[in-house]
Amino acid sequence: MKPKVAFFDFSSCEGCQLQIANLEEEILDLISIVDVVSFREVMKEHSDNYEIAFIEGSIMRPMDVTRLRNIRENAKILVALGACATIGGINKIRNQWPADEVKKEVYGDADIKDNRYFDAFQTKAIDEVVKVDYYIHGCPINRDEFKHVVTSLALGKEPIIPNYPVCVECKKNENICMFEKGEFCLGPITGAGCGAICPTHRSACDGCRGIISKPEVECVMDILKRYDLTYEELKSKSKLYNYSREANK
Amino acid sequence: MVDDTNVKLISEKDLDEFVNKLIDNKTYNVMGVKAKGERFVFDHLDNAKELRLDYDVTILPPKKYFLPPSEKLMDFNITKSFDIKKSKKSKKRIIIGIHPYDIIAIQQMDKYYLDSQKDDFYKKRRENTIIIGSDIQNVSKHSFAESMKTHTTYSGFDILLTNLGNKYAVTIGSKQGNDLLEKYGHFRDAKKSELKKIDKIRNQIASQYDKKVDIDKEEWSKYLVANYNNTLWEEKSDKCMSCSSCTMVCPTCYCYNILDDVSLNLKEGGRIRTWDGCLLKDFTKVGSGEIFRDDKKERYRHRFYRKGNYLPERYGFVACVGCGRCAIACLPNIADPCEVMNTLSSFDKSAETDKYFIKQQTKVPDKGTIHIPRSATIKNINKLTDRETLIEIKLDDNKSLGHSPGQFVEVSVLGIGEAPISISSPPKKDPTFQLVVRKVGNVTSKLVSLKPGDKIGIRGPFGNGFDIKKLENKNIIFVCAGLGVAPLRSLYLYVTDKKNRKKFKELKILYGCKEPCEAMFLDEFEELKKTSDYECKMTVDKCPKGECWEGEVGLITTLFPKIDYDNSKSKDTISVVCGPPIMYKFAIKSLKDMKIPDKNIYVSLERHMKCGVGKCGHCQINGVYVCKEGPVFRYDKVKKLPEALE
Repeated sequence: MKPKVAFFDFSSCEGCQLQIANLEEEILDLISIVDVVSFREVMKEHSDNYEIAFIEGSIMRPMDVTRLRNIRENAKILVALGACATIGGINKIRNQWPADEVKKEVYGDADIKDNRYFDAFQTKAIDEVVKVDYYIHGCPINRDEFKHVVTSLALGKEPIIPNYPVCVECKKNENICMFEKGEFCLGPITGAGCGAICPTHRSACDGCRGIISKPEVECVMDILKRYDLTYEELKSKSKLYNYSREANK
Repeated sequence: MVDDTNVKLISEKDLDEFVNKLIDNKTYNVMGVKAKGERFVFDHLDNAKELRLDYDVTILPPKKYFLPPSEKLMDFNITKSFDIKKSKKSKKRIIIGIHPYDIIAIQQMDKYYLDSQKDDFYKKRRENTIIIGSDIQNVSKHSFAESMKTHTTYSGFDILLTNLGNKYAVTIGSKQGNDLLEKYGHFRDAKKSELKKIDKIRNQIASQYDKKVDIDKEEWSKYLVANYNNTLWEEKSDKCMSCSSCTMVCPTCYCYNILDDVSLNLKEGGRIRTWDGCLLKDFTKVGSGEIFRDDKKERYRHRFYRKGNYLPERYGFVACVGCGRCAIACLPNIADPCEVMNTLSSFDKSAETDKYFIKQQTKVPDKGTIHIPRSATIKNINKLTDRETLIEIKLDDNKSLGHSPGQFVEVSVLGIGEAPISISSPPKKDPTFQLVVRKVGNVTSKLVSLKPGDKIGIRGPFGNGFDIKKLENKNIIFVCAGLGVAPLRSLYLYVTDKKNRKKFKELKILYGCKEPCEAMFLDEFEELKKTSDYECKMTVDKCPKGECWEGEVGLITTLFPKIDYDNSKSKDTISVVCGPPIMYKFAIKSLKDMKIPDKNIYVSLERHMKCGVGKCGHCQINGVYVCKEGPVFRYDKVKKLPEALE
């Protein structure tokens, strides 16, 4: 019996599901080992009978909470897919301001009172609402890592998600360190697994896979000083994906 | 001094032509130093014009060609019963422009990988590679190679190029290098004056180093041993990000990890070896989740001791060539060995230390390709407790495993991975053996779900077991706590066997576990009493209401006063101890109270034995490879070994 798998999305760009759709001919391999019963982005059928649920997106409203709890009840295994789901990601930028202020800024005087679709609260990652069994990090996710998680679950083994920093993969790729180029890079404190794709393509790491260690401030300050960078740069850089997890001064 | 018989001269133009001929020839993959932004890398050469022999240092050392960051050791198909194929041969390769310090680093790698338990994958790449070295033209400001005496070399290359202005001296280092030059190069013999110039240039290189180590490399070990508890380690490591960038760029670091990967169709898979680093938090993690070097101070210190003490003791050389790559790569600027040794130079090198550091090494004979398992079949599988299962395995080549008690095997489930597991059965002539498997990680969880007839892979036996000869004519006290009974069973079943029993004096087995439901082999202990004369005492930490238990209740140490023993026997008594790390301290104290000398106590230690052949680095306790020198150790040898029993 192939495990039944469903994909769901909350507040997100759906780009992580697109990464899966972009497996192209390998989709055939995927459906040879699992039964996809729900995947709005690529099929019209839907079923609530599934064992593994992949969740993309952040949780923003009470109605999201209800829906997510239902999914959790139906699924034996719940996997958070992509930064919006795993850490809140970009959606958390708005947590800098109270939800009411944000709504006012976006919707102005429009009448959204008592409309459940607009009943937004502070952004939550999936694990702030329900238990998450596995995390596939990234913005977007790395297809190879998705394949690793799916094959691992199908074989009944724990997926191996690195808990070491991006620097490990960056060094293996023989990149010139972004700091040497005078850029602030979150690679040293961000979890690897992406193959250091951004620094390899000459763009500093933005920390989309989540910050794995909070280095002592003194240590970070030393590094900033050594490379002539400011603490403000570190702060603004961390905000993009890790608003609630940014390094504190 | 330069030997004039093997030095030729080649013009700059002819050198370009020589390189282009090698590239056009297509027999070889030609690699060389190229610019990458402001830095340099070894990369594929398309034209001699790309070659930058004026480089200072490359981002990664040429090690990547012999031990790639990621390589497939074998292919397999998990839908077939046991179908493995060793990875294919590599193409012949020429690497142009390797500096002397990197050539010396490759010679060091040869020691690690080719000295004993040859690594076939490394060996093949090494044999397929021609090294065209280059004397340094521009010294990296981070390098201290002159202090390490690695700024020049007279061996380790097939050809060495030295820039003499508008021409190059070509020193031939091997027949292979000579043949290559004769076949593709346009050259002439060197004149006496030109030979002199080579020496002069090499002396000039030495004078270009601003960065110097105040301690001679022969003295590194002394300073390190005397300063194991220096506050320096803590102060520096406070800034460490645990990113292991220092080891990733190091030409002499050689630790690795091994993982199985399976394609999305769940058919084809491969066993992948990747670089690993001892600064990473999970480096020493074992299946049960314990991390043996959890504190970053310990990890930070380990790297310097490995370079300056452990490997010098084992191989006779400091495992640092002074390239300075780690100093460039380390963001908080704490990785530079030159700086650390210079800080240490102000401390005492002769301070008395009660620490023990390894002096000898175990040579292990070659047993075929090191990472390729043998096929084996599960014969029987019996659940012992909720967590433990006894698995009987038969080797498909019908040869006996040939182990000694206390050794372990690496067990593979293709597609899932490999795990080290102690052998639980005594040595036998037939091809079967038994393992007690506790369900803790991926491999063990899969193993216990297998059925008789299923195929698995076996490597080993590995490690240092119990020396049975030393136990003869002695009383033996077995101290088995928890899963510790599994490795000790291989020994107590041997000594209680009818054929062997008379060779040993009194036998006592002390066995403790947490609760009655976790106790293993109770029936077997009873059964043994019928055929063998021995005393057995058992205890559980606690006995929950409603459970049946006839033994004692309390920690294992409560059993010691209860056995029939008096201290006059202590000199003739050996004790073997195995259990969870926390237990050793208490059990050993009890044995000391019984006046048993330290040298009569044997312990079996658990670590992450990944490769089993003393290479991958995961199981290292200080300079000791548990997979080779252990897992069985005499207590007096490890009691002062830092990290062992602390």
